[in-house]
Amino acid sequence: MNDYLYLLQPRFKSTLNILKRYNTDRLVKTVFFGLLGILFWIGIYIIFHRVLLYFRGVQGIGDLLSERLLSMVFLTFFSILIFSNITTSLSTFYISEELNLLLSAPVPQERIFFSKFIETMTDSSWMVLSFGLPVFIAYGTAYHSPFYYYLAIPFILLPFLVIPSGIGITITVFLSKILPARMARNFFFLLSIFAFIILYLLFRFLRPERFTDPEAFGSLVGYFTELAIPASPWIPSYWATKAVLPLLKGGGEGLLFYFLMILSTALTSFIIVGWVSKKYYYDGWARAQEKKSTSSGWKFMESFLSIIRKPQARSLITKDIKTFVRDTAQWSQLFLLMALVVVYLYNFKAIPFDRVPLASFYLKNLISFLNLGLAGLVLTAITSRFIYPSVSLEGQAYWIVRSSPTSLRDFIWSKFWTGFIPLILLAEFLIIVSNRILNVTDFMMALSTVTIFIMTFGITGLGVGLGAIYPRFKFENAAQIPMGFGGVLYMILSMVFISATIVLEAWPVYIIFWVKFIGRALRPSEILIVVLSFFAVILLNFLAFYLPMRIGLKKLEEREI
Amino acid sequence: MIKLIDLKKTFNGFPAVNGITLKVEKGELFCLVGPNGAGKTTTIKMMTGLLKPTGGKIIIDGNDLQEEPLMVKGIIGYIPDRPFIYEKLTGKEFLKFFAGLFGEEGKTVDDKIERLLNLFELKEWSEELIEGYSHGMKQRLVISSALLHSPKVIIVDEPMVGLDPKGIRLVKRIFKKLSSDDVTIFMTTHNLSVAEELGNRIGIINEGNLIAVGTMDDLRKMAKGGGAYHDMPLLEDIFLRLTGGEELDEVIEVLR
Repeated sequence: MNDYLYLLQPRFKSTLNILKRYNTDRLVKTVFFGLLGILFWIGIYIIFHRVLLYFRGVQGIGDLLSERLLSMVFLTFFSILIFSNITTSLSTFYISEELNLLLSAPVPQERIFFSKFIETMTDSSWMVLSFGLPVFIAYGTAYHSPFYYYLAIPFILLPFLVIPSGIGITITVFLSKILPARMARNFFFLLSIFAFIILYLLFRFLRPERFTDPEAFGSLVGYFTELAIPASPWIPSYWATKAVLPLLKGGGEGLLFYFLMILSTALTSFIIVGWVSKKYYYDGWARAQEKKSTSSGWKFMESFLSIIRKPQARSLITKDIKTFVRDTAQWSQLFLLMALVVVYLYNFKAIPFDRVPLASFYLKNLISFLNLGLAGLVLTAITSRFIYPSVSLEGQAYWIVRSSPTSLRDFIWSKFWTGFIPLILLAEFLIIVSNRILNVTDFMMALSTVTIFIMTFGITGLGVGLGAIYPRFKFENAAQIPMGFGGVLYMILSMVFISATIVLEAWPVYIIFWVKFIGRALRPSEILIVVLSFFAVILLNFLAFYLPMRIGLKKLEEREI
Repeated sequence: MIKLIDLKKTFNGFPAVNGITLKVEKGELFCLVGPNGAGKTTTIKMMTGLLKPTGGKIIIDGNDLQEEPLMVKGIIGYIPDRPFIYEKLTGKEFLKFFAGLFGEEGKTVDDKIERLLNLFELKEWSEELIEGYSHGMKQRLVISSALLHSPKVIIVDEPMVGLDPKGIRLVKRIFKKLSSDDVTIFMTTHNLSVAEELGNRIGIINEGNLIAVGTMDDLRKMAKGGGAYHDMPLLEDIFLRLTGGEELDEVIEVLR
């Protein structure tokens, strides 16, 4: 067994080394995401606990509803896990850098397979498992289950997790016979993003906020009663549901049978995937090494960018756009962004203004004003993911810019404009469309569009600037860049700056609306307040843009590579 | 063409380059050799503006690198030891991008790119993403990029690493031709036979100090000063003698 676990040692020891070498950067990140995770956990627990308590109170069909919900949870886990195992195994089995070393070493293939299986299963399952935990605890507390329910859950889940891993890896091995692994990974990556977006949109359009209203629980019950969940006795999620259910109430009827069903299927799937891998894995891996070609359909973009006078800036911007578009991991997130925009705008449609018709005029304008802050936060999130990392994304190729006669001023400005232009288009789109939905006054429309324009300067400048102050040229995964100290600092500073902008504008906007409400003209003192406040907003935004850009430029100039 | 005046660089108090003074003439091919960690790459990185000297000056074509960095960088072609480049660009796009950084574009550049791609046998791959290139191909691409803007000075760190014998021969010929066309080449290498073959003069650096500079004959004379190496014909022997690497013989004995 030790021989089999030996290949997992580098991974295990690397994790230990990371844990041992704690620095402020990592501590901040861990605390931040740890807290976020705990909040999410508590949220899941509360929702499930509440729903289950309600179900239990429904006469006659309460337990049936709980069983259906559990069955749905297991089925969802099972489907997500198959998907996640496919995408993960494409990386672990075919693309990972260490494979060159492993496959050229005198290591039996079954040992490589075993270690990769464990690695894939762990990487694919830990998140689903950790978010599943509050669900199982909620079941336990709602049903006042005995202690052995909690002890038995891991023994049921562990073999349950092996089954989707076996299925996912088998699909991958066959898939890699047909497609090169990189292409297959991109394909599944996009597919998973689409699946996530659809789930997200469906969830949003279900309007879960209705369930905070006790009357709405009735429709939830109706929904679950009528829901046709596949309950085939041949699906492992069915066995898992049937194994967990008796434990909930302290019984054991059928537990052993269903547990053995899961266990034997897990072992069988492990053996089958081992056999399939032995037969087909190497061929697929060899295909994965094939080069990737590209077509050259960039003429239009290049001619469009010829409006940029400086060849240095033009070259940098062209390079950044091409690199972005060719990196699936980068641009595919735009789909998520689109989903976010749709939900964002849908939220305005969903506000029940009809319940307060009298106040609706002021409420709409108030919401439109506060929407500036909300849009600012959306832009901050986007900047953090796409614009803040732009300097770091030069990676180890940064020497090219640094040793060339291109000034770092041109370099940092090219990063700014590449980020600013798409961001301002999105910002204005969000504001104008949401204001149209809200049907706000012309004044509010003008104020919002101008403010968001100015704010986008600040948000982008802050992002590019802090990205230049805290660059991470030696990153392994681009998604890690915004999670460092600089990224977290950017989020905090950007939120502070957006809040300050809103606060500075709140008073003059209030004055203008109040004066309009009572039907008189603005007094000179009020005009002064309005002018000063707007001037302060412009100054604040200028500083948010200028200072980080300037310090970032200086830091880049001082930086040695 | 190149003047290093009392050039120093310390890292956390550790002197990586310890006051190098050196002059390289126009059209000269100068090779800097030295053991690992001697300060070769640090010197080169300072000459290309990637590191800031702790002390001293770097004058290239009469301009101080510290004072006129962009002007100096504009006449340098730099070839690093490891070819880190933008993996998501094609070879041709990379060369166009690189030319753009030097403010060069248009048909002349496009023609030159074609010529370089042909010369370095990358034409067939020019529309492929760099991520599919081998190490040697990346290295050839980086060498092409350094020649694009017709630099007056070429600064090269270990140019032959990753190249196949054909590539090595090509690079040697190109360097010789450029040198005969008055391009100054400053090169570091571990490959002593390359230094011996190409270098008009050779400098030996050890522990941050330039311990010997001269032609092969000059170096032979210097090494003979010790008296024990009367018939040393190779740079390798001189190098080991001057850098204290004679204990290698003992290592070989142990391996036997």
